Amino acid sequence: MSKIVLIIEDEPNIVESLSFLLGREGLEVHSENNGAAAMEQIDQTKPDLVILDAMLPNRSGFDILRDIKASTAPMPRVLMLTAKGQPRDRQMATEIGVDLFMTKPFSNAEIVSEIRRLLGI
Amino acid sequence: MRKSLAGTRIREARRKSNMTQKALAQATGISASYLNLIEHNRRPVAGKVLLGIARALKMPVASLTDGAESALLGDLHAAAAHWGDSSAETGTADEMISRFPGWAGLLAGLYRQSRDQEAAIAALSDRLTHDPFLAESLHSMLSNITAIRSTSNILKSIDDIEPAQQSRFHNIIHEESRRLTDAAQALVTYFDHVSDQTGGSATPEEALDRFLQQHGYVFPEIDSGALTVSEILMREATLKNPESRELAKGFLEIYARDTKQMPLADFAIAAKECAYNPGVLAQKFNTGLASVFRRLSGLKRRDIDAPEMGLIVVNAAGRAILRRPLRDFALPRHGNACPRWPLFQAFAQPTRPITARLDLPAGQQFICLASAQDICGEDFGQMPEYQASMLFISTTDLPLIESWLPATGPVQEIGISCRICPRSNCQTRAEPQILASISETV
Repeated sequence: MSKIVLIIEDEPNIVESLSFLLGREGLEVHSENNGAAAMEQIDQTKPDLVILDAMLPNRSGFDILRDIKASTAPMPRVLMLTAKGQPRDRQMATEIGVDLFMTKPFSNAEIVSEIRRLLGI
Repeated sequence: MRKSLAGTRIREARRKSNMTQKALAQATGISASYLNLIEHNRRPVAGKVLLGIARALKMPVASLTDGAESALLGDLHAAAAHWGDSSAETGTADEMISRFPGWAGLLAGLYRQSRDQEAAIAALSDRLTHDPFLAESLHSMLSNITAIRSTSNILKSIDDIEPAQQSRFHNIIHEESRRLTDAAQALVTYFDHVSDQTGGSATPEEALDRFLQQHGYVFPEIDSGALTVSEILMREATLKNPESRELAKGFLEIYARDTKQMPLADFAIAAKECAYNPGVLAQKFNTGLASVFRRLSGLKRRDIDAPEMGLIVVNAAGRAILRRPLRDFALPRHGNACPRWPLFQAFAQPTRPITARLDLPAGQQFICLASAQDICGEDFGQMPEYQASMLFISTTDLPLIESWLPATGPVQEIGISCRICPRSNCQTRAEPQILASISETV
C-alpha cells in the first residue's frame, strides 16, 4: 500500500511539479489550495505526510500546523514550505512541532530525499 | 583644552570696524590692556564682557565665539573616528579649521552626508522588512522562481515524460516567467515611486529638519494669519514624501495653536517685560511650559530683539519629536543624545521645572530649562504620556534673563552624544568613546 502525501499549497504550478515528482516515487498525492479546507482534506485523505505552505489564502500554515498537532487522529508528518526564511518563522514552526522546515525555492533532489526520509521509505 | 580663538576674531572684527583698542575697551567698560590680552587669546572672554564687545562692534555674539568651529571640530573628530583605521591627525584639527576652513567644512559635510545615508539605509532596511507590498511581491517572486526551477529541473533531468505532461511543464515555465517579469516590473515601479517621493532627503525626519531650517523655524505667515497650515503645505514643493509632509503638518498645526494662544506681538512684548521668564509667560497666556518653550525658541527674528534659544522635545523613549539646534549647541539627529542632559532628568520629576548651567566639552556654557509634561488629557483612567522639553540659552545672553533665574547649582558637564564626546570618566557613557579625551587631543 502506497504512502499518502497531501500538498496544501495555493500555487498550482508548484503543486503540479511536486505531484509529478512524488508520483514517480510511487506515492499517492492529493492537493488542497485553500487553507480553510485543509483540515477537512486531512480528515478525508488521512495522509502520512503533509506538505504545508506557510502562507495560504484564508488561513495561515502555522494555524493549520497547530490544528494538526492538536488533533487526536493519527498524526501525519509535516514538512513546511515557505518563501519567508526568517529565523522567527522557523523557530515558531519548530516550537509548534513541525518535522521539517524548508524554504523556497527548493531543489527537487533535496525535497524528494527529505520526503523519503520522513516517510521512512 | 583647545585654545579659544575668540580673541583673534574680536581683533579682526574691531579692525574691520575701524575701531581702536582704546575705543572698544571704553565702549565695553574694560581697560585697553585687558582687551589687548583678550585679543591675543591670553584671557578668556565670555558673559557680560563678550556681550558688551559684540554690541559695541554691532555683531552677533555667536560670530565672535567658537561655536561654529566647535561644531566643525566635533564633526572632524567624529569623521576621523567613523572610519576606524583612519590615520588622520586629530590633534591638528583646530589648525586645519583655521588654515583651510573650506576643506574642513567640505570634509565635515561629507561625514554628515555619510551618516545621513547610513540612516537612509537603515530606514530602507526597515521598509524592506515591514512593507506589506514588498513582502507580498518577494513572496510571489520566490514562488514563481520555485515553480520555474522545479519544472525546468524535471525537464532537464527526466527523459521519459509524456508529451502532454512535457507540454504542460513548458507552459508552466512560460507562465511563471511572465508572472516573474510582471512582479519585477511592479517592484521597479514601486522603487521609482519611493525614490521620487523622498526628494533627496534620507528620512522623513531629515526632510522635516531641512524644511524647518529653510524657514528658520518660524512661519510669519501663520503669525500674521496670512496663510493657513494647509496653504503653506500646498506651496511647499520640497516635502515630497507623504510621511515628511505629515510630520511638517504636525509641526505647523502645533505652531498655529501656539500662535493663537500666544500672538506674536503680545508675546514679544510680554517676554521682554518679564525677561523671558517661561513661568510668568505660561501664567500670563494660560498655557503650559512646553508651549512657552516652543514660542520662545522661535521668538528672535529680524524685527524682534530677543536671545536666541534652542529647543529639543523628546518622548519617553528618548526619540526627538522636535529639534531646534543652535550653532553652538548641536543636537544629534539620530538619537543617542548625552544622557546627562537635564532633559532626561525631567522625566524623573514630571511637571517640576529644572534649571541648570551646562558646560559643553568645547567650553561653551548654556542655561538650560527643562520640564516634562503629561500630553494626555485629564480623563479618569487615562495613562499619562510624558514628553520632556529642554530650552537652552547661551550664557553670553545671561544678562538678559538673570533677573529671575534661580540658582542653577554647580555647572554640569555634558556632551552632545557619547559617540563624539571626549569626556573621560563619565559614569553615564552609553557608547564607547571614539575620540581621545580632551587632554589627549592637545
